[in-house]
Amino acid sequence: MTGATTLAEPPERTDGEAIALSVILRGVRKRFGPVEALRGADLSLRPGEVHAVLGENGAGKTTLVNVLGGMLRADEGRIEVSGRPVSMASPRDAWALGIGMVHQHFTLVPRLSVLENLALGVRMVAGGFRLPYGEVRERVEKLSRDTRLRIDPDALVEDLPVGARQRVEILKVLFRDPEVLILDEPTAVLAPQEIERLLALLEELADRGRSVVLIAHKLDEVLAVADRVTVLRQGETVLEAPRSAVDAAALAEAMVGEVVVPARRSDEPELGDTVAILRGVSARGARGEQALEGLDLEVRRGEIVGVAGVDGNGQRELAAVLAGRLGVSDGACELPERVGFIPEDRGREALVPSFTLVENLGLGLLGEKAQRSGPFVRWSRIRERTEYLLDRFGVRASGPSTRAGHLSGGNQQKLVVARELERAQDLLVAQNPARGLDVAAEEFVHRELLRLRGMTKTGGVGGPGIVLISTDLDEILALSDRVLVLVRGRIVDMGASRDRAEIGRVMVSGLADRGD
Amino acid sequence: MGSGRFGGLATAAAALLFTTVVASVALLVGGHDPLEAFGALLSGAFGTPQRFVSFTLVRSVPLILTGLAVAIAFRTGVWNIGAEGQLYAGAIVGVWVGLNAGDMPPLLAIPVALAAAGVAGAVWAAVPALMKLRLGVGEVITTILMNFVAIHTVSFVVHGPLQEARGVFPQTDPVVDAVRLPVVLAGSRLHLGFLLAVLLGVGLWVFFRHTAEGFRWRAVGASPRAALLSGGVRPSRAMFKAFLLSGVLAGLAGGVEVTGRSYALLENLSPGWGYTAIAVALLAGLDPLAVVLTGIFFGALEAGAGAMQREAGIPAVWVDGIEALVILAVLAADRSLKTIRARRRSVEEGAEPAEPVPGVASA
Repeated sequence: MTGATTLAEPPERTDGEAIALSVILRGVRKRFGPVEALRGADLSLRPGEVHAVLGENGAGKTTLVNVLGGMLRADEGRIEVSGRPVSMASPRDAWALGIGMVHQHFTLVPRLSVLENLALGVRMVAGGFRLPYGEVRERVEKLSRDTRLRIDPDALVEDLPVGARQRVEILKVLFRDPEVLILDEPTAVLAPQEIERLLALLEELADRGRSVVLIAHKLDEVLAVADRVTVLRQGETVLEAPRSAVDAAALAEAMVGEVVVPARRSDEPELGDTVAILRGVSARGARGEQALEGLDLEVRRGEIVGVAGVDGNGQRELAAVLAGRLGVSDGACELPERVGFIPEDRGREALVPSFTLVENLGLGLLGEKAQRSGPFVRWSRIRERTEYLLDRFGVRASGPSTRAGHLSGGNQQKLVVARELERAQDLLVAQNPARGLDVAAEEFVHRELLRLRGMTKTGGVGGPGIVLISTDLDEILALSDRVLVLVRGRIVDMGASRDRAEIGRVMVSGLADRGD
Repeated sequence: MGSGRFGGLATAAAALLFTTVVASVALLVGGHDPLEAFGALLSGAFGTPQRFVSFTLVRSVPLILTGLAVAIAFRTGVWNIGAEGQLYAGAIVGVWVGLNAGDMPPLLAIPVALAAAGVAGAVWAAVPALMKLRLGVGEVITTILMNFVAIHTVSFVVHGPLQEARGVFPQTDPVVDAVRLPVVLAGSRLHLGFLLAVLLGVGLWVFFRHTAEGFRWRAVGASPRAALLSGGVRPSRAMFKAFLLSGVLAGLAGGVEVTGRSYALLENLSPGWGYTAIAVALLAGLDPLAVVLTGIFFGALEAGAGAMQREAGIPAVWVDGIEALVILAVLAADRSLKTIRARRRSVEEGAEPAEPVPGVASA
């Protein structure tokens, strides 16, 4: 793409020229009750750069960009836009300055179509009550073409897989053509090709004078596009440097304060009994579409079966079938009872936000006889177990009686992983288990998966069979004993192949005619 | 949570004061003496131990039972607005057993009559329950419509098949002695139904807080997807069971009423208990133990309203109006207090609030 390709223009500006904004945040402090999320964070943003903000879960990245985006007010500190001190009380104020934000959590109305959601963000055209759908549709289609972020404008948001919802979120903000674009973990749910496209798009926006603030947890993505990097650790800026001055190891060390060695499968698996068999399984998705078609799969104790694929090719349904949560329309399954299941959307599918951490643990562990006595739940036992797991998995919470909805995204994910690893006596179905986690936590989860896999070696009944469904090919390749690719509801067995290009080709095969 | 329960009562008192002022002005404009009116209301509800027990507590029985019916349904994510109809279904069947139980000893007749009333309520609830879970028809509409069917069925029954032998009034003959609920406090009219209602309140509290099944229902109410995907609970099954149990409790309210207080079935047996029950349950924060308290509060309001009419000569329409005003004020005040409290908590405790500390939250 060249700089000549223009994005849709906002109604209030006519020339499409960027008004070069430089933004400086100095000494920002923000306290949430007893928790000090930011204690002296700095960020300086120059026009025309992609600026990456890195840090562990809970380092304050999201809080910092929320201050920049007008969602939160800093307790202390200075914000300057183009040399003038400003104060922002709401996202509206930020928008007035040309600062737009793509959030980590979805902010779409599920019951409305994509088009309707985008139209909601458009300033009303003079005096009308009617939303300008026709005009919005034209601009959406053009924007979608220009950015190569493909969406179906008439699909209901609630029917879309998370990857597609993320595309809509990004389009929603691009639609208004901000001077400063903030993206909080935009790549976590996108397929590899989409990530590449998005990153290319961000570079292009920067070339045209916009500034981009990018939060991402995958270092290599960040390093591929960032011009400058800011690293936060425990609410403080510990490093700010041009991209060329740092490497991945230095950044990881700045983030964590120590050197991180990625977990990798290093030995051949010791296979145990077969724990799950699918034969000719077909299943339907939420909209009644054929999501899985005549699929065969066998999983044995002691192995990690990696299922790669572009999001929306039946991952959600395959995971639900394996976990015994979705009936099949055709074919036969033999599934074990004690299954751990890490679903795609932790907020809605794995946790009850209004329940305490103890109750959320209980939700998953109630199947165990030891947690009950007759009809009664042994809450004191589950509480002890919760305290142990919070400690072991490093979940940052003020206590086991905290409500799950009050945890940060990364900590929610840790809680789910902790619970499901406990449950997985026979089979673990993990869909994107490290999504949203920082480097250290991701390594921790990967190590735990490898530990479960290795249990078969140490004798006894052995560890569970593990099905790792992930859109992150690196994760699949690092951990899996064999790799399958899910394409349009069918499985292509790649065997022990580690050839990225070949796997990538299979992943996108037959996708050309797909309408998403 | 204790603080919520007592905080709720404090709110009720504050709202009562507000309503008193508004209603006083209205009464003055209408040419009535507000002091006399409210004096009658208070003395009618709490004036003497006798009045408190025989009026307030007796009137609270159907309100507690239907309030529990609504609370467990709402907790499980079932919007059962049909407690009124389920109560009438229970009353019809309860009275039928009561008219035909002449040969049974009380130890048998009472359980049979109450069980039959409960089953009738469940059957009445099963219609909208099946329509919701099999056909996907929203239960708010169907339960309301089933209320009309029940009310008109009562009308038919007391004008036709079960009309009293004399054939004068549209009501049934009195039920036989064997089926009448015994008085539990000598010298009062407080019957066994009150103890039953309180016991059920305690039992349901234990059910939701400490049993696996109750916990599953709560999970379904809070997040059906998470309950299914992480808890392995089938939401439709839990909702069906909760719907039926809700019907049982509302039907029981009808059965208890005809065997404990009215001893007969008549039109307008219920002054809308099944609807007031929604206010009872919401004010209690859907907590079964708190429903017992809010049920007694609404019972006091009804008892006092009756006295206002009898003793201060205020016309019934005024009384109804004031009663409605109190309910609105209490619900509004309760809601806004909860919002204020939640906001303060999130400001004080930030991203990770701990559990509210009793006494602090209501300060």
